[in-house]
Amino acid sequence: MIVSEPKAVWRQYVAAQKKRETADFDMRVVIAGSMTVEPLEPFLGAHLVSKKFKPHVTIGPFNQLRQICEDHRAVLGDDFHVIALLWRLEDLFPDMLARCLSSPETVADLLTEVKLFAQSLRKLRGSFGGTLIVSTPPYPSTPDYELLDIGQASAGMTVFNSVSQLWTQEITRLERVRLFDLQALLLNVGYKQAHDSRKWLLYRQPYSESFWHDIGQMIGRMIAAEKVSPKKCVVLDLDNTLWGGIVGEDGLDGIELGDDFPGKAYRDFQRHLLYLKSKGVLLAVATKNNPEDAYEVFDKHDAMILTRKDIAAFEIHWESKVESIKRVAKKLNIGLDSLVFVDDNPKEIGEVTERLPQVFCVIVPEELAHLPGLLAQTDYFDIVEITDEDRRRTEMMAADNLRQQTQETMSEEEFRKSLNLKINVFAAQKQHLARMTQLINKTNQFTMTTIRRTQDDIEALANSKDTLVLGMDIKDKYGDYGLVGVAILRKENKSCLIDTLLMSCRVLGRGAEHTLIAKLAEAARALGCFEMRGRYIATAKNAMVKDLYKQFNFTYSPPSDEWVLSLSEAPKTPEHIEAALHLSDGAPSPCSSSETPLSIAT
Amino acid sequence: MDDTLVQLFAEVLEVNPEELNDNSSPESVKQWDSLAAMKLVSAIEDKYNVRLSTKDIMKMSTIGRARKTLQSKKVAV
Repeated sequence: MIVSEPKAVWRQYVAAQKKRETADFDMRVVIAGSMTVEPLEPFLGAHLVSKKFKPHVTIGPFNQLRQICEDHRAVLGDDFHVIALLWRLEDLFPDMLARCLSSPETVADLLTEVKLFAQSLRKLRGSFGGTLIVSTPPYPSTPDYELLDIGQASAGMTVFNSVSQLWTQEITRLERVRLFDLQALLLNVGYKQAHDSRKWLLYRQPYSESFWHDIGQMIGRMIAAEKVSPKKCVVLDLDNTLWGGIVGEDGLDGIELGDDFPGKAYRDFQRHLLYLKSKGVLLAVATKNNPEDAYEVFDKHDAMILTRKDIAAFEIHWESKVESIKRVAKKLNIGLDSLVFVDDNPKEIGEVTERLPQVFCVIVPEELAHLPGLLAQTDYFDIVEITDEDRRRTEMMAADNLRQQTQETMSEEEFRKSLNLKINVFAAQKQHLARMTQLINKTNQFTMTTIRRTQDDIEALANSKDTLVLGMDIKDKYGDYGLVGVAILRKENKSCLIDTLLMSCRVLGRGAEHTLIAKLAEAARALGCFEMRGRYIATAKNAMVKDLYKQFNFTYSPPSDEWVLSLSEAPKTPEHIEAALHLSDGAPSPCSSSETPLSIAT
Repeated sequence: MDDTLVQLFAEVLEVNPEELNDNSSPESVKQWDSLAAMKLVSAIEDKYNVRLSTKDIMKMSTIGRARKTLQSKKVAV
């Protein structure tokens, strides 16, 4: 994770880029600050290189944040994917900040200024199409804001708290501005460690090299999280991983789990796992144990934080971990490369690393004090925005299990009918964008083109006249799958290009793909087109949709490498599904008669 | 040339080491601006594992004077 010798990595990369005849960058970032921020360049750059980007890092002019907000093109030039702004109260409002200590009634003036600054960011957000990252203000470094006021609460902290609360509120209200919590990072590292007063006095550069390293890594993680899919599942060993000792030998009362060390280390690790689950990460168990022993701990040990319900898949038997992990991936319908495996046994870790190199393996540390933070310090679960679908994921998996059990009791056809599937295809609204971004960047298997996009890209497409960004949500009698499909249609003359077509694999095989194609045809018709065209771009993982267009009677046209379907040939929604298409905010567009029963208005 | 200090200056200033000698200064090397000075301090501290005081930093007006400052801190350069 931590780039070794980031400065050397960055120097080599920059030199290699300079040798190229044409620039080859896929991530142009500009950093600007109210203070000197140049030292950030190699650290941020090297982190992005380690995440397989080809970054270009520019440092904006010193202390011109207002001007950047007013007219970023004039100050920075054009063509950036990311603008990141770092600022401090003592740089932007030095006099007011000092006055707040002697006359507390002037805090209101400072707050007004801070609010105005937030409003100018709104302007920048409106004019800049890329990713915008803005810091929180860190606690002032001026000597009058001393942290240790003897015998009383720090007056500076009172001022600071009201400012930072207001700032966070204002920025959260702006949409699509990513808040970089510089203050939290400062706390994490330590105020004294982070500052370098020599460089501040000499160069107006306040921080130590190691703190710039941390800032670079954090901003790098934020940028990468926009494009790189987070891991979806943690597969956990039990003995000496979720608790100390071996339940099969030590018994329910003998294992270490509770409020004293070492039991507390395991307990706190479980707490962190539960937190990950709330972010949408699935938890699974892979252990060599007797099922009754393992389940007994979940059901009866009063110090357990995790319950059976929190675990999406159990593999409890004496077969290999490799086999267990493969089964977990299959059960949960996710790729091996979205799994993280945690075990205390180096042999197991070694075997999984060797036989399933896609799986990320993490070993329980020798020093148990590091166990609770084991996964917190990785970037495996960096998620830009957490959606409702994430929070409900484990519950949705449980509904899936119920479906499967029912399915086994009846014929395929009966089962499909019994589900009462309701499918909605609709034009994207603001509230859908976060989830759509996630699907667009995470879906690997059922995806025709695998074009990755940022939320800003998608919003721009949704707002453009000739493009339709469509979402699909699905419900059945067991529950709500939520938003599970995305399509992007672009009208080109009278022909409709399917730029993107993807679905979560969990909903396949029940007519959802059929319905989606039928609804896309309707949408294309509404755009005034007579045909739809689409491409299949092969990747290592999307072979399952190789023949999708063929299956729905599209004709292959070799010169353009496209599949074409005249809309008059478009498939109809299967009968067992109730489907609707909503293209504008209001009423659904008229559906063809086969799917919506014609109700007679009275 | 096997002079690690000159190498370091050349790397940070992004100039050919042949162009530098102990008399090189911000006046004679146009890349040696205040930003470069800041980067030089970090690079020297990293490489030789020393900590420079503001006085030390102010004295380093040529490569030769930087060498003397480092030698006074028992760094062999």
